Amino acid sequence: MTLIAVAFLLLTVVMPMHWLTDFAVFCILVLSFDLLYGYMGRLSFGHVLYYGVGMYAASLALVHLAPNPFLAIGAGIFASAVLSSALGFIVVRTEGATFALVNLALNQIGFWLAMSGLQAYTRGEDGLSSSVRAIGFLDFYKVPVAFGFMLVCLLLVFGLLRMLTRSPFGILIRSIKENEERVKFLGYDTLRYKWLTFVIAATLAGFAGTLHALVKGFVAPGDMGPLENARVIFAVLIGGAGNLYGAIIGGVVFETMINLLATNIARWEMFLGIMLLVLVFWFRRGITGYIADLARKFSRSRGNPAERMP
Amino acid sequence: MISAHGLTKRFGSQTAVDQVNLKFVEGQASGIIGPNGSGKSTLFNMLTGHLPPSVGKIEFGGLDITALPPHERVGMGMARTFQLVSVFDSMTVWENLVLSTGRFADRGSGHRRFFFGPARSKTILENCLGALERVGLQDKAGARTSELSYGDKRMLEIGIALSLKPKLLLLDEPLAGLSDHEIGDVVDLLHEMKQNCTLVIIEHKISKIMDLIERLSVLNDGVLICEGDPEAVLNDPGVRECYWGKQVSNAEG
Repeated sequence: MTLIAVAFLLLTVVMPMHWLTDFAVFCILVLSFDLLYGYMGRLSFGHVLYYGVGMYAASLALVHLAPNPFLAIGAGIFASAVLSSALGFIVVRTEGATFALVNLALNQIGFWLAMSGLQAYTRGEDGLSSSVRAIGFLDFYKVPVAFGFMLVCLLLVFGLLRMLTRSPFGILIRSIKENEERVKFLGYDTLRYKWLTFVIAATLAGFAGTLHALVKGFVAPGDMGPLENARVIFAVLIGGAGNLYGAIIGGVVFETMINLLATNIARWEMFLGIMLLVLVFWFRRGITGYIADLARKFSRSRGNPAERMP
Repeated sequence: MISAHGLTKRFGSQTAVDQVNLKFVEGQASGIIGPNGSGKSTLFNMLTGHLPPSVGKIEFGGLDITALPPHERVGMGMARTFQLVSVFDSMTVWENLVLSTGRFADRGSGHRRFFFGPARSKTILENCLGALERVGLQDKAGARTSELSYGDKRMLEIGIALSLKPKLLLLDEPLAGLSDHEIGDVVDLLHEMKQNCTLVIIEHKISKIMDLIERLSVLNDGVLICEGDPEAVLNDPGVRECYWGKQVSNAEG
């Protein structure tokens, strides 16, 4: 955890701080997706729906209730938790491609609602502006303050997910990824835990959405468009699915590349395509997976792994 | 202990299990044999809740469990192993036992530990090592499961089932694919388990478990054709015909 904090602080030397503020928010979204995909093995093409719900709920709370950042965060978390609890009840009953596409479909509906269905509240394509009042030193318009706040949020989410994934619950969801039928015969109601994991992942995505609203002061339907899911999936694949450090490395590497490519090359999408091909053919398990494989090769040449004790 | 009443499973026009009535008595070990495709595994899958029966009723400990999902049957004291050994290859050996030794599925106490406590804690590790000791795998606790031999994986699977502390254990071909030496180990373990657990075993290598079982049932084409004392069943003309008769016609064809 200190490692992440130090890495982010060191990066401020080579990158603008407002980039890193955005990266921290994006990394929270990637972490939440990694719980669902990397740990439980459920690939969703609609995860940013909940990011969008958190984002709009926070903005609406800022505009209509009070310009208080904590109220906005509370509203976003509440909205994404409630919606994912209800929708999760249905979607976790599906598997594989159906799961991915049902989530995509729901994301499409959410996007349409933000775009036109609920235009009266979201202002549609024009987007929704909001402002936050400073509380003491916590002034989101000061870049270092916003950066520090997002970094703390990232560390909190990382800490929470590290606890969850190292616990017996973490073993349970990894077991569901490998063989769900088998887990039922260990006496666990897998549907219940799949639902719970879905809700946790979606709520954390919603939390990331609230931070987006706070730090940008402006939200638009494009931020939760179905295509945004590709960014999250990319980031997880780059870092290595099923590894929390991987999610953060992937998030930072991906966003850095996008930012650099976009400032230098007008149409940069091709490079993303090429990178995905490289990942799929040579680095299946991403950066962290590649390092882990190297480490294992190294330790295997030095001793019998069967003799390692837990 | 567990009984099936008119249990039937149809897949489309195919009837895999046809009106089977069976009763497994508490404390006994029973064997089920039958040619390939005779419906043994389908019967198991219905008893354990993996497949819903088309018709019929299953009772366990006097309760109708026909509609209960697998995890609730496990909660009532039922455990099973699979025909193709089924363990979690992506994990270490001891991690395979965390969920079954911990019994975290029991509601109420221990929720905080389940979600937030480290799996690699002293109590959990001790429980896992204890369960591994029963099947002789304590020295391989830290190994990756994918690196175990098939025989060790089978032992691990039985260890997982045992750590659920079942009253009834259903084993689907526990000896398949094992060497003679490994078969000896598993059979010894089965003898030991019989002391406090009702066993139902599907097995082709019937000679290896003749000392163990008190009852034998024979399925053919989904129909229960004979059951009773193992020696008597094996000498039954109908059973001999279904086994040898078929093989003769196969050899001729």
